[in-house]
Amino acid sequence: MTEEELLVKAAEERAAIVNKYDRGRENAEQIDPWEDPGFEIYHATDRYGFIHDKRLPSIQRIEIRDKELENSRLKKWSKMLHPNSTKVWDKDMKSGKLKKRLYKGVPDAVRGEVWSRLLHIKKTKEEQIGKYEEMRKLARLWSPDLRQIDLDVNRTYRDHLMFRERYGLKQQALFHVLGAYSVYNSEIGYCQGMSQIAALLLMYLNEEDAFWGLSNLMADPKWAMHGFFIPGFPKLLRFQQQHDKIFAKFLPKLKKHFDRQNIDAGLYTLKWFFQCFLDRVPFSLAIRLWDIYLFEGENLLLTMSYGLLKLHRRSLSRMGMEEIVEFLQIHLSQNFGYSDNVVIENVEKCMEELRRAKLDQNSKQIPASELAQNPFGAFVTPSIDVSIGRRRAEFSDEERVARAAVVARMELQVSCPVRNRAFNQFDQLIHITCISVEVPTTRFLSVYR
Amino acid sequence: MANRGNQAGTATAAAGGAAQRPNGATQGKICQFKLVLLGESAVGKSSLVLRFVKGQFHEYQESTIGAAFLTQTVCLDDTTVKFEIWDTAGQERYHSLAPMYYRGAQAAIVVYDITNQDTFGRAKVWVKELQRQASPNIVIALAGNKADLAAKRAVEFDEAKGYAEENGLLFMETSAKTAMNVNDIFLAIAKKLPKNDGAGGVGGSSGQGRRLDRAEDGNKPASSCCK
Repeated sequence: MTEEELLVKAAEERAAIVNKYDRGRENAEQIDPWEDPGFEIYHATDRYGFIHDKRLPSIQRIEIRDKELENSRLKKWSKMLHPNSTKVWDKDMKSGKLKKRLYKGVPDAVRGEVWSRLLHIKKTKEEQIGKYEEMRKLARLWSPDLRQIDLDVNRTYRDHLMFRERYGLKQQALFHVLGAYSVYNSEIGYCQGMSQIAALLLMYLNEEDAFWGLSNLMADPKWAMHGFFIPGFPKLLRFQQQHDKIFAKFLPKLKKHFDRQNIDAGLYTLKWFFQCFLDRVPFSLAIRLWDIYLFEGENLLLTMSYGLLKLHRRSLSRMGMEEIVEFLQIHLSQNFGYSDNVVIENVEKCMEELRRAKLDQNSKQIPASELAQNPFGAFVTPSIDVSIGRRRAEFSDEERVARAAVVARMELQVSCPVRNRAFNQFDQLIHITCISVEVPTTRFLSVYR
Repeated sequence: MANRGNQAGTATAAAGGAAQRPNGATQGKICQFKLVLLGESAVGKSSLVLRFVKGQFHEYQESTIGAAFLTQTVCLDDTTVKFEIWDTAGQERYHSLAPMYYRGAQAAIVVYDITNQDTFGRAKVWVKELQRQASPNIVIALAGNKADLAAKRAVEFDEAKGYAEENGLLFMETSAKTAMNVNDIFLAIAKKLPKNDGAGGVGGSSGQGRRLDRAEDGNKPASSCCK
């Protein structure tokens, strides 16, 4: 455009704006809903982007105080997160300053950058240039999981501004991250439970970063979520066992009460472990737990599981089976009963307790059955059965082990409601069944799914 | 949370008919049964439960990870039947955890989506597994859900009905969205469950379900029913 044309354009624009003000509310049909304060979403959306059924109460004084506190910390965080250098970050990480600040609370404004560093996203991305794009393309053509992914994208955090619109930008990103991961890690493919994790990452990171974040959560030994999501869920069973041990040692009375009520860890820990408490505690608390999870690693899962039961032990010990399940599944996600800060302080204490009892390190070496057997990103054309989604008639070895373990847990519970004595026996049983699958290490990838 | 479709009053208001919450004046027996919902992903298991328990319907019901637990009560003449409902995850991978939920269950609803033939095939697999692995006297109902989408029907009513009859299953087409037959299917199950003491030794194998002893009858595994 010539200068003259630009001038004409600017003048027209100006005139159009002035005209709108001249007409005032006459041309109400041209006012977009979001331009008016009456726009309901403003009043029902919380600071994290979740839209609630009802208008939120007006801001309480305590919230203002918390927000101010968060803002006052921003400066220190910005310094730590210097964009061109990780020097301060590394130093603060070593000195324990980072840890201290992290437990106090990461300002939401820098959470994305903090998570990105804790997940080593930059480094991974540099090592894998072009890989995400490649996987994304392959997934569109080949991923046998797209059907399930599509079903789940349609029902993941639809109450969040970002994921509200069907096929909106973030839904597209979620679809592609999960699709690409399903071909990148063919042993997991896609497992229900991953969509919320990917969506959470997408609330704070861009599409490719979310992919590498998800990938490191699965594969890095610090989190090693791979073992949670592969067929047979071997890590779930191992963590439930470890949880039982901690529970029996530190809260024996409550454990007995749970046993008498026939509440097995299998009934309440799944979402705690698979998603680090997402949807089981209020979102504001869940992301603080995620901060610590990303910083400390998998121990947080066991620590918080113990910490949660400990905080609520008095109320829980007075409840029957139904109330306990309702309390853990629903009630706590709506009202945790303790402020986020109190919970986090409790987590810190519990972590210390477990460390002293040497119950913190769940297993120094990850069992072979929980590790990936195939290199990531090495795409193999799926078999016809897999491509058309034909189901296997039989369970795989891993699944048979899982079933046997589930049944064994139940049987022990029925035969021996207070299970302390049966504990060792059960330990052994799991141990034996695990060994039996570790022998044939060749996994038949194409058979599964 | 927003974006949650219509919310139609309570369960009683939604379907009418005989199913009613117990009122204080109810006398007679109280029976308690464990019921499990099984079926392929996204056929509407959680939606059926939500409709039955809360009378609500959410267009974007979140996927169930693991399982969810809810209870609801229906009244049958002089008997109050309380369902302890385990709603399970549909993805095949979670299948290996299913015994945790169906063992000791006295009833099961196997759900498929009438607009998707694959889900019907999957329902048959579940029925077979229940017949082999669950309590021998388990009452199984087959629910062809999403009946409001009859225009997109892929599973014929008669085909499913025939299959249900061959296998001795209760059968109804349901719609969690419109509430059609939702209370009715639970009620039909309640009617079919044995409600006299020691009837048929529901349970079999080891699993008498999780909800066993109440304070008084300490060690005795709970019978299927009434106190």
